[in-house]
Amino acid sequence: MRKAICLAAVLLTAGAVHAAPYGAAGCGLGSVLFGNQPGFIQVVAATTNGIFGNQTFGITTGTLNCGSPATPAGAKVFIDANREALAKDMARGSGETIATLTSLTGCSDSKVVGATLQKNFSSIIPNEKVSNDVVADNVLSTLKADKQLSCTSI
Amino acid sequence: MVKPAARLILAAAVLTAPLAGTAQGTVEELQASARSQHLAEALPWLRLLHADLTLTGGFRSEADAAFFLSPRGATDPQAELDADLRGFFAPPPTDKDKQHPQCQFPARFAWLNSKLHFDFSTLPLQPCPRFEEFYQRVAARAVTAIFSSYYISSPASVFGHTLLRLDRSEAPLDEKHFELLDYGVNYSATIDTQNALIYAVKGLIGLYPGNFNSMPYFYKVREYNDFESRDLWEYDLALTPQQVAMVTAHVWELGSTTFPYYYISRNCSYHLIAALEAAVPELDLLSHVGKLAYPADTIKALNRVPGLVRAVRYRPSIRAQFRKRVEGLSGEELTGVARLAEKPEAPLPAGLSSDRQARVLDAALDLVDLRHARGLILSTDPEAMRLKQQLLERRSGVPVQSEALLPEVPELQAPQRGHGSIRAGVAGGASSETAGFGAANLRLALHDLLDPPTGYPELSQLEFVDLQIRYQPRGRTLWLDHAWLANVAAIAPLDRFVQPISWWMRAGAETLRDRGCPGCLAGSFDMAGGASLAFAGEKLALFAMAESGLSAAPRLAGLRGAPVRLAVGPSGGARLRLGDALILLGTARWQALPFANPHSFFELEFSARLALPGGLALNAQLIGRPTGTEGSLGTYLYF
Repeated sequence: MRKAICLAAVLLTAGAVHAAPYGAAGCGLGSVLFGNQPGFIQVVAATTNGIFGNQTFGITTGTLNCGSPATPAGAKVFIDANREALAKDMARGSGETIATLTSLTGCSDSKVVGATLQKNFSSIIPNEKVSNDVVADNVLSTLKADKQLSCTSI
Repeated sequence: MVKPAARLILAAAVLTAPLAGTAQGTVEELQASARSQHLAEALPWLRLLHADLTLTGGFRSEADAAFFLSPRGATDPQAELDADLRGFFAPPPTDKDKQHPQCQFPARFAWLNSKLHFDFSTLPLQPCPRFEEFYQRVAARAVTAIFSSYYISSPASVFGHTLLRLDRSEAPLDEKHFELLDYGVNYSATIDTQNALIYAVKGLIGLYPGNFNSMPYFYKVREYNDFESRDLWEYDLALTPQQVAMVTAHVWELGSTTFPYYYISRNCSYHLIAALEAAVPELDLLSHVGKLAYPADTIKALNRVPGLVRAVRYRPSIRAQFRKRVEGLSGEELTGVARLAEKPEAPLPAGLSSDRQARVLDAALDLVDLRHARGLILSTDPEAMRLKQQLLERRSGVPVQSEALLPEVPELQAPQRGHGSIRAGVAGGASSETAGFGAANLRLALHDLLDPPTGYPELSQLEFVDLQIRYQPRGRTLWLDHAWLANVAAIAPLDRFVQPISWWMRAGAETLRDRGCPGCLAGSFDMAGGASLAFAGEKLALFAMAESGLSAAPRLAGLRGAPVRLAVGPSGGARLRLGDALILLGTARWQALPFANPHSFFELEFSARLALPGGLALNAQLIGRPTGTEGSLGTYLYF
C-alpha cells in the first residue's frame, strides 16, 4: 500500500486550530480528496473541501500541512498529488505537469526536463509500489544531478 | 516582523479615488460619518455581510456568528458597521489564535476606508501575518470562474459544480501561466453520511454547514478531469487589479464562517456568485439567477454581463483526451491500443516509426487511466497499477517527446450556451380514448434527450420535478397526467475501448393507460439497464435495455388482485440529432405484468423537437398503447 495515511488525521483535526504537519506523504491525492475507505467515494464531491474547515484562521489551503508549492517542499507536494498524471508525462517526456514542475524547481527548460525524466523513468519509478515520497525524491535528485538543467530551486 | 504589505496594497487600491472629505479621527466621528452617508444601507455593505432583505423589510445574513463583531450583526447591518469600526481601533489581540478585526475583515476595512478615509495616525494599521501570508501565497492577479461538467454518477454533482480560481497571472496576457499552481476557491458542504437519502434530505433543508476553502488548482484538475472524467470550463473574468484584490480579501473573510448549505438554492454556485458580487459591487449577477441556483445558470449570468468573460478555456477530461489521442490512428494502430491496454507486453503493429509507436502507447496509457482511474488513484487495484507501470516503462523507452494534445473545444456543449433550466409548455392533441385534450407542463430541471442540445451532454437526461396536467373539453375533466420526481437516463455508447452500462431511472406518479386501472393515478418506480451504440459523433444513438417497474394505486388490478403490480420487459430506441436544432427520438417497450390483469403492456412513442431562437422549442409526439393512440403538438419555453 503506497497510500498516504492522513485522511483520518485530517478529518479528526478538521476545525482544530493546530493541525500536525504531515509531511508530503500525507497529502497524496487519494488521501486528500477521497480517503481510503471503500464507500467513501459516492458523496465525495460534496465532502472534499469540508475536510479543511478551519474556523479560527480564516480560509485554509490544501497544502497548509504539506508545505507551500512555491518551495522545494512544494515540489514534493506537487509530485505527490499529481503522481498518476506526472508518471504519464514523464514517460511521454512532455506535458503540463512537466512544465509546472520545471517552474517549481526553477529548472531552465521544460523540454530538457521532460527528456531527462523520460530517459531516467525506470530509476525514478522502478515499480508501481514505490511510495509517492520516494518518487518525489527520485524526481528531484534526477533533476539536481543533471547540471545542464541548472535547476535553481531544489 | 511581517509588514502589512498586502493590506496596504489593498488599502491603496481602494484609495485610488481622490480623497474627497477630510480624514476622520475618532471612532465616533467615523460612525457618525457612516450614518450620514447611509453606508449601512448601501448595497456593497449589505453584500459584504451577505445580508438579504427579509419579507418584513429587515435584513438577515445566514452566515454564522463568527462573521460578525456585533451580536446583532446578522440582522442589523448598522450595528455591525458600528461594531466593525470600533473593532478596527482595537489593540492587537493577546490571544495569538485570534485575528485583529482589520485582519479578519480586510474587504470591509478596505471598503469602509474608501468611503470614510481613515486617518492612519489615529487608526493604526495592524500587522496581519496570516492574511499577509495567504494574500502573498495566492498572489492573485486575475479571477477565473470554473464549471465542472455534469456528473450523472454522483448525486452531489449531477448539475455540475462551480468554483473560483485565483490566478497568479493574467492568463490571456502572459505566455507562461502555470494554472495548476493557482488557488481554487470552493464552497461545499461538510457532510456526515454516506447514505444518499439522508444526504438528499439534509442537503435540501440546509442541515449541513457550508464552508469556503481554497486549495491548489491541481487537486481540482486531478479530481475532476482524471478521477471523475469531467470536462472543466474556465471563464476568465475581466476584473481590475483592485477588484481582484477585493475578491481575495473577501474570500479570506468568508473562510472563517459557515453558511447553512442548501443543495438546490444556497449552494456552491449561489455562494460563489454572492462572493463575487460582494467583492465587486459593480456586478449584478444574482438577480439573473433564480431561487433554484443551478451551477450552469451562474455561468450564464457571468456571460450575460458584457465584457466580463474575456476568455473561455476548456480543460478536457481524461475521456476527451483519450478520444483525441485515438483520432487519426489507423485500424491496425487502434487494435494495438486496445491490446496494449490489456496486455502491456503485446507486440506493437509491425513497421511503425518510433513516432507512431509513441502515439499508440500514449493512447493506451490514457485508456488505462480512463478505465482504472479509481483503482490507480486510490491504489486499490494492484493489477491496474502493474499494467500501467509496464506501459509507462515501455513508453519511456521510446525516445519521442509527445506533442501537446490540443482537443477541439466542444462548442456545442459549452454550458453557458445551454437552454434555461426551467421548462414550461403547452400542447394540444387528440386521442382515440379521450378525444381532444389540452396539456400544460412544468419542469424544474433540467434537460431531456429531446431538449435543445446546445450546452448539454449529448446523451444524458436529467429531469427533476416534471408535471403535466391535462384538460379535456368534452366532459370538462382536468387531471394530472404525470408527476415525475426524477427521470434520469445515461445513454453511454459501447465501443471497442469502453463498455459502459446505459441506464434509466424514473420515479413519481402517472395516470395509467391500460385496462389494469384506466385513468388511475399510480405511484411508480422504473429502472432499466442495457447497452447502446453511437454513430457519427453520437448524432445517432441506438439503445436497448431490460426494464423493470413497480406501480401502485388503490384500485389497481395488480399482483393476484393486490393494488401493486410489477412490470418486466425489453425496451429499445433510437435518437437522431439533425444539425444543432432538430432531434428525433423513437422508443418502444413491451412489458409483462405477472399475475396482474391485463398480462402485458406496450408503448410505442415517436417524438420530434425543433429548437427555436429565444428559448423556445416545438414538439410533436405520437404514442401508441393497447388502449389507443394519441398525438399532440406543443411548444416549450426554457427560462
